[in-house]
Amino acid sequence: MTVVAGRATRGTIVEAVCAREWHEALGNKLLVGMTLFPPLVILAAGILAVYVAALYPPSAKDVQALYASAPAAAGLDPTEAVQGFIATYFLVLFMLIPTVVPLTIAIYSVIGEKAARTLEPLLATPVGVGELLLAKSIASTVPAVLVTWAAYAIYLAAVMAIGSPAAAHAVTAPRWILAVLIMVPLLTALSVNLGILISTRVNDIRVAQQIGGLVVVPVVALGIAQVTGRVVLDNSSFAETGVVLIAIDALVFVAARAAFQRENILSRWR
Amino acid sequence: MSVVLRTDGLTKRFGRLLAVDRLDIEVHEGEVFGFLGPNGAGKTTTLRLLCALVAPSAGGAEVAGHRLGRDDARIRASVGILTEHPGLYERLSAADNLRFFASLYGLDPRTAEAQVDRFLRLMGLYDQRDDAVATFSRGMKQKMAIARAALHEPRILFLDEPTTGLDPDAARTVRELIVSLAKEGRTVFLCTHNLDEADRLCDRIAFFRRSLIRIDTPDRLRAELYGRTVELRVLPSPRPEHLACVQAVPGVREAWLENGSILVRTDDPLRTDPALVRTLVAAGAEIAFVSERRASLEDVYLRIVHDEAREVGT
Repeated sequence: MTVVAGRATRGTIVEAVCAREWHEALGNKLLVGMTLFPPLVILAAGILAVYVAALYPPSAKDVQALYASAPAAAGLDPTEAVQGFIATYFLVLFMLIPTVVPLTIAIYSVIGEKAARTLEPLLATPVGVGELLLAKSIASTVPAVLVTWAAYAIYLAAVMAIGSPAAAHAVTAPRWILAVLIMVPLLTALSVNLGILISTRVNDIRVAQQIGGLVVVPVVALGIAQVTGRVVLDNSSFAETGVVLIAIDALVFVAARAAFQRENILSRWR
Repeated sequence: MSVVLRTDGLTKRFGRLLAVDRLDIEVHEGEVFGFLGPNGAGKTTTLRLLCALVAPSAGGAEVAGHRLGRDDARIRASVGILTEHPGLYERLSAADNLRFFASLYGLDPRTAEAQVDRFLRLMGLYDQRDDAVATFSRGMKQKMAIARAALHEPRILFLDEPTTGLDPDAARTVRELIVSLAKEGRTVFLCTHNLDEADRLCDRIAFFRRSLIRIDTPDRLRAELYGRTVELRVLPSPRPEHLACVQAVPGVREAWLENGSILVRTDDPLRTDPALVRTLVAAGAEIAFVSERRASLEDVYLRIVHDEAREVGT
């Protein structure tokens, strides 16, 4: 009698889970739509805003308000300054993509398995729940990060093509490129693990999305604070935000790991 | 036969609910072991305990040579489980569903492909291997779930209601698979409400409701509870003096007339039957045939479970 089972490596598990989840996700038109809709809207709005700002010069009142909230813009040509300001403002809105998109994918990933009752056979394999959670996190994180980076790349190219030198300079500032490269994965991981955590407690995708939607509040607040001049996003504020995000990411992952226990899933999740 | 599964006072509580109470069983290699009990008896919880999916509250178990709670990943690699619901990925094809699980069980790609093909053929699903599982009937999904449970050639296969929802042809395929797995030396731990199936397949049967009620072979349980009943068909019909003769034969526990036959309950038909025939012939009876009537496993089940319910007052 031969037993052919062995010990799957972490790489094999991640690869298998990602391939399966992505295959299933691509077959779910609603999920694909909900994944692509937010970045497309933000991208289109951002490009349009920069374009319109070039067509319609700002009023003297707007320029004064702009110089007051963004002292670094003082001395620039008013049209250029407004374009630069708008281009930067939309970069903050780009940070909404890694909070909204992976949340939806992660929620579908867990609640979808609950609804289809596929978790028990999955948990009956020799795979550890930590490995499974990690694989699911990666499966939700990677597409969201790629979608955000792709949207940012398109935005960057569009602003450089149609925007003023100030706008191009604003969007290619090293701190923004670093923010997109580093903050986006951190925000995505936060959103994914929050989505998994919420999904362990509720069975309805819409309810999970409503609760998970709260994760966008800090990003929106940051955008408003920047527009009103209350916060200036400089290098040190980016570094501080990054450190805080890493800490929150770790906390949420630990909480998700604690909720994602084999016995809890089988006996308490309904 | 060596013991492949042994429990030692295995107990599971969920808060104040006692789901499994001090279960002590031994199951042997190559055995088809029936685990029967009413709904809510704790059978699924027992299966989950033995597959290291939930942790015991007390007691322990050794499964496929590994200690529960210490080598749980090894236990899960050594067993396969068919859960109550097939739980398949509907958008994936039949082959991709099995390939996915083959990866998680650590099968190398070549073995995985061979096993996927083998089990799809065994289950009669090879021609539908590239079809999405969403298009499958309930019976086909059940067969897929069985294929998934057996894919990694586990030493013990836990099957929870394997033939539920299957048409007679598919049910026969599953029963044949169970028999062939047992012949290979694999152990099948079978939970079913299909008592005819349990009777046909199981070497031993445990009756369970929160705790173990009885455990034995189907024939011994039948014999113990109902004795063995022999039917003697007498032509044109038995007379009262025939019955009186039969009742006097040593070894006869009880005898009665029923539809033109004399029915005799005895502990040892091999010894009693020749004496019965001799006695009746001597009394002038013309015997058309002698056959043994078996109590069904359903009779045994109902009696055991109802007796136990009466004893515990539920």
